[in-house]
Amino acid sequence: MLLEQVEYVRPQSLDEALEILANDDGAAPLAGGQSLTNVLKNRVASVDVLVDISALGDLAGITRTADGGLSIGACVTYDELDRSAEVRQSHWMLGEVAAHIEDQQIRNKGTIGGNCCLSDPTNNLPPILVALDAVMELRSRSGRRSVEAADFFKGYFATALEPGELLVSITVPQMPERSGAGYASLAVGADAKAMVRAAARVTLDRDHATIVDSRVVLARVAHVPTRDAEAEARLNGADATDDAVRAACAGVADGMQPITDVHGSSEYRRQMAKVMARRAVDQAIAAARGGRNGSSAGGN
Amino acid sequence: MGERATSHAVTVEVNGEKVSRIVAARQLLVHFLRDTLGLTGTHIGCDTGNCGACSVIVNGKLVKSCMILAAQTDGATIETVEGLAQDGTLSPLQESFHEHHALQCGYCTPGMLMSATYLLRHNPEPTDEEIRRGIRGNICRCTGYVNIVKAIRAVSRRQATGGHAVTAAAGEEV
Repeated sequence: MLLEQVEYVRPQSLDEALEILANDDGAAPLAGGQSLTNVLKNRVASVDVLVDISALGDLAGITRTADGGLSIGACVTYDELDRSAEVRQSHWMLGEVAAHIEDQQIRNKGTIGGNCCLSDPTNNLPPILVALDAVMELRSRSGRRSVEAADFFKGYFATALEPGELLVSITVPQMPERSGAGYASLAVGADAKAMVRAAARVTLDRDHATIVDSRVVLARVAHVPTRDAEAEARLNGADATDDAVRAACAGVADGMQPITDVHGSSEYRRQMAKVMARRAVDQAIAAARGGRNGSSAGGN
Repeated sequence: MGERATSHAVTVEVNGEKVSRIVAARQLLVHFLRDTLGLTGTHIGCDTGNCGACSVIVNGKLVKSCMILAAQTDGATIETVEGLAQDGTLSPLQESFHEHHALQCGYCTPGMLMSATYLLRHNPEPTDEEIRRGIRGNICRCTGYVNIVKAIRAVSRRQATGGHAVTAAAGEEV
């Protein structure tokens, strides 16, 4: 398909990229391009100049932070996340979620930064990043700031990014000891877009018997990943048993107004959110007990 | 390539041959391959990144060529379906597709072959599930995939028993 006439530039440095983005309202950063290219084909956005940030060293690579967390460059691809020994070692589930995004071709190009900045409600990575207390590191010509993942996703295809601002990396803090993460999706077919998802993180006490801290994040219930604070409050202090988790998750999404669309009604989503949340929490507990900081339970 | 412009000079190595062209910034890689270089083996199916008929290997990575700009590939090494056969001899994978009747209309075949080539390079002895996951990004509307999986499996087994080296055509060690 023929795209609209557009300029292309491959800046040699992050500063040069930020300068172009600051000076031109019609400049759009191009990373993996696995969504942007279709946007250009459909001509739903008008772009004057594509700023190719995919080869910038400042946006590449995964490094271990001093406190044991991860710093993930915005242009790290899903495939790199999947295959990263560092990611698998400390945040196993993050690699597993990346491994189940669409197909190999898209995983070879699509980036964690693009996945987040598009803020498509069906995207896989935002809910797990919120559950892991990730922090988005933003840069612009005039400075830098950090935004918690839970505050970054603002709405349907909307984020906290200001004009001229670029997501450069994502910091994922080390999980406390005896923690694990889980992720469950309701989808037709493996690796398909989900109708409802839940991501969870739990931390257990020394005896692995009680949940001391938790995150329950729902996706596709609202347009952005949403923490269910009430469910988290019920889980915190609860026994790490099937019955207790089932009871705590029975009220998931009860205080919310899930969206209705062609894929499912609001009430159906509410019911399925409870099931997905329970599965994600069960996985997280199993992972915490397994000492894996992730989960051995596969699946999307 | 520091200057912003609507056209750019691009030099790439395609199937072992170095080519330089001026490309429009808006030109997709698949059009560069098909229309500019005349390599029409790479097909356009959906043109939305869903069907995988346009799959090629760029710098060792399997990608959909309708989802990248030609300008982005400056300096890259590109492998297309035309590079699989060597001196008129089909690659073991191509031969296996023939033997196992792994195609009917053949439209998806170039993309399937590139995905299977990439898969076997990274995983020379895939399970059937890994084969199916490996071609998940490639849609075939004729075969029901069964014979495609059989064809890929046969090559991986052949290799496991010391037969043909599947990636010999692509010139890369497994």
